[in-house]
Amino acid sequence: MGINKENKSEYNNDHAHSHLPSDPELRVKAIETLLLNKGLIDPKTLDELIDTYENRIGPQNGAKVIAKAWVDENYKKRLLNDATSAIRELSYQGRQGENMVVVENTTDIHNVVVCTLCSCYPWPVLGIPPTWYKSDEYRSRTVREPRKVLSEFGLNIDSKIEIKVWDSTAELRYLVLPLRPDGTENMNEEQLSELVTRNSMIGTGLPEISK
Amino acid sequence: MSRLHDMGGRYGDGPIPIPRNKNNQVENGEPTFKHDWHAKAWAITLASGALGEWNLDVSRHYRECLPPKDYMNYSYYEKWLAGLTNLLVDKKLVSIEELKKFISLVQEDNSTKDLKENVKLDARTWLAKDVQKTLGWGGPSLRKTDITPLHKIGDCVITLKNNPNENVIGGHTRLPSYAMGCKGKIFSYNGTHVFPDKNAHGIGENPLPLYTVEFKASELWGLAAENGNDKIYLDLWEPYLKIKA
Repeated sequence: MGINKENKSEYNNDHAHSHLPSDPELRVKAIETLLLNKGLIDPKTLDELIDTYENRIGPQNGAKVIAKAWVDENYKKRLLNDATSAIRELSYQGRQGENMVVVENTTDIHNVVVCTLCSCYPWPVLGIPPTWYKSDEYRSRTVREPRKVLSEFGLNIDSKIEIKVWDSTAELRYLVLPLRPDGTENMNEEQLSELVTRNSMIGTGLPEISK
Repeated sequence: MSRLHDMGGRYGDGPIPIPRNKNNQVENGEPTFKHDWHAKAWAITLASGALGEWNLDVSRHYRECLPPKDYMNYSYYEKWLAGLTNLLVDKKLVSIEELKKFISLVQEDNSTKDLKENVKLDARTWLAKDVQKTLGWGGPSLRKTDITPLHKIGDCVITLKNNPNENVIGGHTRLPSYAMGCKGKIFSYNGTHVFPDKNAHGIGENPLPLYTVEFKASELWGLAAENGNDKIYLDLWEPYLKIKA
């Protein structure tokens, strides 16, 4: 097969987006009103989507997965072996989490997740990524200097601990299984899930015992 | 050879913009959407994608094809909006004239006057009642094929040095430039997945073997590596890899 020329828009200087107003609120309003007017979007769908990710899907889901893995050795095995199925056991599945991988922190290994090319993130268990995860700074630096990046989050990783950085370049989505903090032996699954922060499941934080 | 979005390893970026509380501690909680227009831009992009006129790889490629000046100036959701606008026009869901008309209307703040009372929804439009079902299914990229993967776990491989997209010059690819021409080891095999280098250009899904490949930090960054034994893992399709000689 020969090499094709790139699609037309690539070389077209008259990009449609260049007509958009400078105020982003007006940009959204223009596109939204146009699409509504053409019947191409249903306003109730927009409300349902926003409500879902503001109120129902978020790091509280991932925290339940982690807490369950801490108290149930068999679940942890299933989670590390086939994360997609194990996470679906808790009814978390679907968009941007179709193929899940869970990577385990140990006393010798610290995992951290990034997407250098865009902002891939496991939506069903963590929701919509925070601003810093989508920032140029995090995307550019995490693969080259993960230790410096983690230190900015207050995590100073001992040089004897190996760091594994997972760059989400395909449709696999990564979730970090942090170490269960010491002194939590008497806590139940629900109490444990309260300790699991969003950042601890990305690898830029640890569970918060003082919480 | 690369585009601005391909920024892994780049020098010059400052501290990570981490939100902190008044005691200067890292703040985990952050609103899902900082502004209403962020939420709207995000939701409109998802709802437009659901019309079925393009796939995820196409929408990524459109964001990546923004002129470098715009890519750098735009905030995250501004990139989404710009990519979406170009897609809507290129895929003929709206015309450039309609777009310009509605831009004028909102600038005069009388856009609602032009909204018909009872708009008939297009047959392709994503309905609110289907939202949960569609989200729950998602858009899996794993495909069943009878392709036998070329590489085994533990095999040493070298990534392509340049032009990973064999079909389209300057086309979409998911091999970041920081990992081009580098030695790695097959860490795991993930089945055959839709190949973005083709799927982003409307030349079919072409599912191909996808591997997770392990690279030593010393291989990617040489003496600049913080700790040469740290590892970086990338999910790479078979055409990105050559067998190590």
